[in-house]
Amino acid sequence: MASFGWKRKVGERVSRSVVRQFEAEEEEKAEDDDGGSREEEEVDWLHAIKRRREVLLQDCAANSSRLKDEGAQLAEQGRHWEAIKKWDEAIQLTPDNSQLYEMKSQVLTILHEVFPAVKAAEMAVKFQPLWWEGWQTLGRAQLNLGEVDLAVRSFQIAIHLRPSETSLWQDDLNWARTLQKQQAATKEKIRQEEETKNQLLHAPELEQDYDFESDEVLAACVAVAERQTHYEELRRTTVVIDAEGKIQNVVSGEQGSEDPAAPSKEQFVKARGL
Amino acid sequence: MSTQYSILFKQEHAHDDAIWTAAWGKSEADGSETIVTGSLDDMVKVWKWSDEKLELQWTLEGHQLGVVSVDISHNGAIAASSSLDAHIRLWDLESGKQIKSMDAGPVDGWSVAFSPDSKHIATGSHHGKVNIFGVESGKKEYSLDTRGKFILSIAYSPDGKYLASGAIDGIINIFDIATGKLLHTLEGHAMPIRSLTFSPDSQLLVTASDDGYIKIYDVQHANLAGTLSGHGSWVLNVAFSPDDTHFVSSSSDKSVKVWDASSRTCINTFFDHQDQVWSVKYNSNGSKIVSAGDDRAIHIYDCPS
Repeated sequence: MASFGWKRKVGERVSRSVVRQFEAEEEEKAEDDDGGSREEEEVDWLHAIKRRREVLLQDCAANSSRLKDEGAQLAEQGRHWEAIKKWDEAIQLTPDNSQLYEMKSQVLTILHEVFPAVKAAEMAVKFQPLWWEGWQTLGRAQLNLGEVDLAVRSFQIAIHLRPSETSLWQDDLNWARTLQKQQAATKEKIRQEEETKNQLLHAPELEQDYDFESDEVLAACVAVAERQTHYEELRRTTVVIDAEGKIQNVVSGEQGSEDPAAPSKEQFVKARGL
Repeated sequence: MSTQYSILFKQEHAHDDAIWTAAWGKSEADGSETIVTGSLDDMVKVWKWSDEKLELQWTLEGHQLGVVSVDISHNGAIAASSSLDAHIRLWDLESGKQIKSMDAGPVDGWSVAFSPDSKHIATGSHHGKVNIFGVESGKKEYSLDTRGKFILSIAYSPDGKYLASGAIDGIINIFDIATGKLLHTLEGHAMPIRSLTFSPDSQLLVTASDDGYIKIYDVQHANLAGTLSGHGSWVLNVAFSPDDTHFVSSSSDKSVKVWDASSRTCINTFFDHQDQVWSVKYNSNGSKIVSAGDDRAIHIYDCPS
């Protein structure tokens, strides 16, 4: 009898907690068998297996819920990694409990594990697509990852499920849309910068022949110089959105823009040298 | 004419994201049938139903966020749409142009419904007020106060006498439109009421709720006439057939169910969607049903006559 071992089957894919539980039950059963070996022949195996399966499922749910609470307590005490470990064990027992994934996502966000946080929240909404809090957590995780468009989508789904939740409108969706606008404005600025740069390199004024005595040359030079200052200005500014959501281009401070400022000075000197 | 319920047509990938709302209208001018859909992808799409298939007529751009609700005026000329961007827009279905854009104020536009004379649009709001906008003026003309919670669903009775609203806390309010007085407050469900609809004779009110039940009320006496179970999850939308005999419901259990109004039993279930079915409507003569949902598909079903 002892040669029949479950341990042989234990590979990397089986979680340790499940194995431990299984072994414990196995031992318990062995003890029971010692006592009542006489009745062994009359056991209805078909139903016994079914019953065992149900008992096992019940045990899993109870243990999972205990681990969940333990994890929540640890998280409250700021012991975040330990909490995640508890919840991971609970997930092994009840892989379709979306609350576990959602809490894990929140704690991963605190730990700045942005990508795993998104993954965990995605599992939460997969198993419970009607749970608005899961979508809110997913949106917040996506925002931390910089996926602003995806976050706006997640917050919209959350609102659609629970439109009375004012925090979703006022905090989450509003903030995500502000970031979205900022991103769009930044993209637009980069595009403008590129365009001006291109025109600087292939200035249309330089493509025609000039009579060097005329004022045309002067006008062309002024135009080129103006474009150059415009480009410099674009490079020196950053997109900022103020409290009312208006988009502004602000000249960035000295310390922040050392890189773009350096070539600008150089060129200034050059211009004076002429 | 068909003798049993069957699926007639599927438009897969009708939008780039989940479809949240659909409406079916008929033009008084030329008798053509139009389906309007609104989606999480910010778009309103107008489809022509002819020769037993759908043809995309217009893609209406303008909303900045997902489209929550659409309705078609009773002469089939105008569509109204409301979005999470807090704007209600009116569209000319003939030209595909925007007629008006009304700022409903933050969180003050959820479901939209044309009045039977199509001169007004009712929309629910955050603080339990039903705001009535003028189609002609494009402005808020008056409001009815339920003194309750967020209003998710709204319906005019076809005779133009009543307006019913369903709130997020499961309370149903019925107003007398002529006097603006609150007639009845019914504690219908314990959970949000996503949809409600009057029977064509304006005698019955059918409600759909997240609690998975459909309830039928006698409007005049405000009596509960029946509670129907059958859906395995939230009931998201209900619609009455124009001949008063049937109504149809859709649910997040991915099914569409047709109910017999007199026996109050489910007589057919369609399991053709891959995901939650947010919207279901009859066409003007009750021979077809349209449904749309999170799987981005529009389905048309045939009804026996």
